[in-house]
Amino acid sequence: MLEIRMERVHHAFPAPSGRWVIFEDLNLEVRPGSFTVIVGPSGCGKSTLLRLAAGLLTPTAGRIRIGELSPAQARAARRIGWMGQQPALLPWRTVEGNIRLALEVNGRALRPPLTVEELIAMVGLKGFERAYPRMLSGGMQQRVALARTLAAGPAVWLMDEPFAALDALTRTQLLEEVERLWRAFGATVLWVTHDLHEAVRLGDEVVVLAGRPARIRARIPLPDPRPRTDERRIGEWVERVRAALMGGAG
Amino acid sequence: MRFFSNSIGAQLRAGIVLVLILIAGCTTPAPPATPTPALRHMVFMAGYKPQANLPFVGVYVAKEKGYFAAEGLDVEIQHSTGRGEHLQLLMAGGVQVTTQDAAVLLQRRADPGLPLVSIALIGQRGQQAFAALKSSGMQTPKDWEGKKVGYKGTPPPDLFAIMEAAGVDRNRVELVNVGFDPRVLVQGLVDVYPLFKSNEPYLLQQMGYELVIWDAADYGVPTLGLTYVTSEEQIRRDPDLLVRFLRAALKGIEDARANPEEAVDIVLRYAPQADRGHMRFMLETELKDAESEVTRAHGLGWQTREQWEALYEVLRRYNAIPKPVEIERVFTNELLQKARGR
Amino acid sequence: MSPMEMELPRLRSGARLAPWVPLLALPLALLGWELIVREARVPVYLVPAPSVILSTLWAERGLYLQATGVTLGEAAAGLALGMGVALALAVATAFWPPLERAIMPLVLLLKAIPLVAIAPILTLWFGFGPLPKVLMTALLTFYPALVPLMTGLRAVDPAALELLRAWDASAWEIFRHLRWPSARPYTFAALKTAIPLALIGAVVAEWTGASGGLGRTMWLAQTNLDMPRLFAAALILAAVSLAGYTGAALLERRARWWSPEEAHP
Repeated sequence: MLEIRMERVHHAFPAPSGRWVIFEDLNLEVRPGSFTVIVGPSGCGKSTLLRLAAGLLTPTAGRIRIGELSPAQARAARRIGWMGQQPALLPWRTVEGNIRLALEVNGRALRPPLTVEELIAMVGLKGFERAYPRMLSGGMQQRVALARTLAAGPAVWLMDEPFAALDALTRTQLLEEVERLWRAFGATVLWVTHDLHEAVRLGDEVVVLAGRPARIRARIPLPDPRPRTDERRIGEWVERVRAALMGGAG
Repeated sequence: MRFFSNSIGAQLRAGIVLVLILIAGCTTPAPPATPTPALRHMVFMAGYKPQANLPFVGVYVAKEKGYFAAEGLDVEIQHSTGRGEHLQLLMAGGVQVTTQDAAVLLQRRADPGLPLVSIALIGQRGQQAFAALKSSGMQTPKDWEGKKVGYKGTPPPDLFAIMEAAGVDRNRVELVNVGFDPRVLVQGLVDVYPLFKSNEPYLLQQMGYELVIWDAADYGVPTLGLTYVTSEEQIRRDPDLLVRFLRAALKGIEDARANPEEAVDIVLRYAPQADRGHMRFMLETELKDAESEVTRAHGLGWQTREQWEALYEVLRRYNAIPKPVEIERVFTNELLQKARGR
Repeated sequence: MSPMEMELPRLRSGARLAPWVPLLALPLALLGWELIVREARVPVYLVPAPSVILSTLWAERGLYLQATGVTLGEAAAGLALGMGVALALAVATAFWPPLERAIMPLVLLLKAIPLVAIAPILTLWFGFGPLPKVLMTALLTFYPALVPLMTGLRAVDPAALELLRAWDASAWEIFRHLRWPSARPYTFAALKTAIPLALIGAVVAEWTGASGGLGRTMWLAQTNLDMPRLFAAALILAAVSLAGYTGAALLERRARWWSPEEAHP
């Protein structure tokens, strides 16, 4: 289990009118094994934060650590599991082939915790091993993407609104699976969403990001035990988070 | 033989030829292969596709009957597409002997200044003439007034020469640029069509049309036909090769004169798609034009300074030659003499 | 990002037209032509009737077969060379993007050179045999193949690319797992363009000087005003070109089975 640390991170993009500063002085620690959810208005930089953590972007200043490793090293060591809104399955590979891809790419030093068959069963797609992506619904494709993310057994999961494009019912099912799998794997999860309900249901902590440049407005721990089924409690937490989101300068 | 140039194309092609010659001059052509130690390899490029033009026929016959081999030559026969690459290849050394119309030879010597030398004048009269459908009722060039006269490329000097000689008012004649397509005459797009005496008349006859033909030479205009041509460089480098070539080729022409049917058989081996009657017609026509006072006195292929100067004068008079040319350097009978006087 | 060509039209019942149906167009056109020539009594030296053309073709079928063989050989070799070089260059630019900027000016220069002008130089350097024809054909097919190939190797799913980067995939792994398979539809697009071009290239190359082949046959026929032969050769050329294109299209279908055009349940 690895912790994620972001220290004094500054990140800016060159823009027509000079530079567009996303983060000025961001500090964030994510405890090992915890499930941290990041919420915020669209375009505030949630995805950018995730990309910085993954090492897909290099911050213009500041330091990021995944355990003892830099993001680049963590990627090279296949410690990072990445999942986005699009399943991004390769259409010319079967379900099994797509999951196996995670083990083929840069996979020399890997010791996968589960077989591909077990992963497929874990996400509820038993029987579909040899199906091709075009035959699957959106929800099924995301399940494959989930299995793929976990195939190499990464210690850190970076997930960018993975179920945003799905219908409510599928989303609920998949969220339960994610919860289950997280507990089974014991990974450190950084999860981005715009859905406050989902945030409150899943996370150990909700990080509220807002502003330009983006700042952490609030960090709201969620101590309630799981599974969280009390809708009234959930509603209360959602209001807390919303208040923090709308609140004045953080 | 085709006229090499057309109005705008002339400058462009001259430029391209110059550039290509410069490039080619910097490259060394592949050394000719010698199949057996006794035979020397050379390349003859006919100035157009395989057909019964007399210089071609001489070479075909000489090859088929072993005259080249007897001279110790292995002659590779190639054919040009009529776009002028035969001269480019001659200049670059890829080809040793080719054929060329005498007037065009003079023009190329003037611009872009190719060092061409005629080593035998096979066509003692020019190849071209003007024709109209007999059904048009035209009888003399005077009848061209008020009609459309076609030309290929640029209006040739003998067109103006024939008009002047026949007293035709140039302003009352409409000149039209036509391509190689005698069908324009048949369809009435022009009234008078410029043709090669040994070629189109046969085609038009096969189409069922009778023609009336006017040859500039009949009106006192000096014209000359096809030559065997080489470069000054080639003469310097290996005159013996050329002597042997001429000896064999001329023998081939003499054979063709004595045995035209056999010669046509040989031509058809090189031109399987050609029509036998067409080739026979071409051969007979050109054999006639290969004879003149000069050849009766000195033999086949002979050329005099007077002949060349007269042609040069026609070109000059009608602005068909942009720069002056030294006539002495344009032709030589030396190799002919050596070929004859064994 | 669909690089897919327009599909064959569907009949209202939903069935697809079989790939060989477009080939029917040719015989039908010939029939119409025959009728027009007969009715209008067009002379054979202007436009020959298909019956005359076909009988010429049959009478000399050996000659045409041989000529077709020559031209096909030149076209195939030129196609292989042109597409091969284009492929190599496209792959190289996929690995080193700056390469594209370096070579593009040269490629465009090459594209702009008129074949007829360089034909004599090629003949000078490479002789009177088939090599200059092959080179000219390669030059003609090179650019139209290069562009789709380069595009195809770049037209990858950005989300998949990001995923591979998150796995720290090497340039080779990205090429092998993502770029190359993504480029397959484009490869077939390139092939479908290049095949007819290769045939045209071979024919045009023969016009600039050759001892055999369909182009040469056409040129000789033209200068002899032999319209039946001219059309016969042109007919074969059209048929071969169509067959080649259809063949490539069939291969394309087989190779694109994974594309998400079919509606899923």
